[in-house]
Amino acid sequence: MERYEVTFRVNGEARRASVRGQDTLLRVLRDLGHVEVKTSCEAGDCGACAVLLDGEAVNACLVFAAQADGCEIVTVRGIGTEANLHPIQRQIVEKGGVQCGFCTPGIVVAAKALLDRNPSPSFEDIRRGLAGNLCRCTGYQKLFEAIAAAAEEMRG
Amino acid sequence: MDYVRASSVEEALQAAQAPGAAFVAGGTNLVPDILFGRRSAAVAVDISRLRELRFIEEREGRIRIGALTTVTDLLESALIRREAPPLCASAFEFAGPLVRNRATIGGNLLDASPAADLAPPLLAQDGEAELRSAQGGRRVPLQDFFLGYRKTAIRPGELLCAVSLRPLGPSGRSAYEKLQLRRAMAISVVSAAVALWMEGETCREAGIGMGAVAPVPCRSAAAEAALRGRPVGEAEIGAAAAAAREEARPIDDVRASAQYRKRMCEVLVRRLLRRAAGLPER
Repeated sequence: MERYEVTFRVNGEARRASVRGQDTLLRVLRDLGHVEVKTSCEAGDCGACAVLLDGEAVNACLVFAAQADGCEIVTVRGIGTEANLHPIQRQIVEKGGVQCGFCTPGIVVAAKALLDRNPSPSFEDIRRGLAGNLCRCTGYQKLFEAIAAAAEEMRG
Repeated sequence: MDYVRASSVEEALQAAQAPGAAFVAGGTNLVPDILFGRRSAAVAVDISRLRELRFIEEREGRIRIGALTTVTDLLESALIRREAPPLCASAFEFAGPLVRNRATIGGNLLDASPAADLAPPLLAQDGEAELRSAQGGRRVPLQDFFLGYRKTAIRPGELLCAVSLRPLGPSGRSAYEKLQLRRAMAISVVSAAVALWMEGETCREAGIGMGAVAPVPCRSAAAEAALRGRPVGEAEIGAAAAAAREEARPIDDVRASAQYRKRMCEVLVRRLLRRAAGLPER
């Protein structure tokens, strides 16, 4: 079976992989050790696998890995780390917007993309910005409050 | 499945001649279809980086949209907002932000779901598909492009390059609405778009596009005829909405019954015509 050599940067680090045509970016990222990108619906419905691809928030399950050759990919770990949390991450924790934590990486990516484009989102903007991310635990309210608080903190 | 990335339209057309070739751009339909075995392809021809197919322009009295234009692109376009407000509104309601960043107008039309969200607005504004093959190009009016359930007029080896529509212009009035069971990430229960081109109090041209009320996205020729050459008053609106309902042939499915869809088709068309005509909401 044909394999394709792809190289891309993940959170600033150059990575390479030998992928099949049908392998998705989600599965290849996880094979590379980036298990913070979550496997959930694999149909583009839940947002758990959201990553930034050349700065745009996308579902990694909807991208063939071969399509991402040469791209810049950012996962939640590229947005903030345990030692250096991004305001979005810290506010989600402080506002009680995390329970099981499974949706959280995708939420952080979607929220980062939202705030990158709109530093002063209305509550409705925040709801729309997270419309592609499902959460089974929190009921969303505290996630929205967290992102509103992060936006305010980032505006200084 | 093999993979090849096309670096030009010509390369894409060449690669598409291989048996079992499928174009991939945003992948929002194709990738999960492949993963879940609903579709198979011998080779995916990746056209996602063909910048020459991603544009929105006004040319020779039409608005032309490249097939690789994403739904986010449509949403962010001042030209679309001004000249094709129903298309802008449809892009606003489309799926969610993560999908919008990848889904393309070409992909939505070629997927040819009866509920394809971008279709009714394009139909209402006289949409036309531009196709190209190694043998040359052709144009197909959008209402003739949808042949049947998930079946379009595209031929093997052909690439959908662009879609064009008639701009609203200063004399145009329009409206759009999508009935859905959630506020996002939802397939339409019924959707509709209306566009009216006025000359004084008279409607010169009308376009009424409907989604999820037939095996294909469709125009209601009878509803349009009820408006053409007449003032857009209560009686004309009532007649057009009733005509649209007659032409609707929806099915029962998990989202709604055929009876509900037929009823809502009339409600939506009446509501949108009133809105376009500047009559108060009832």
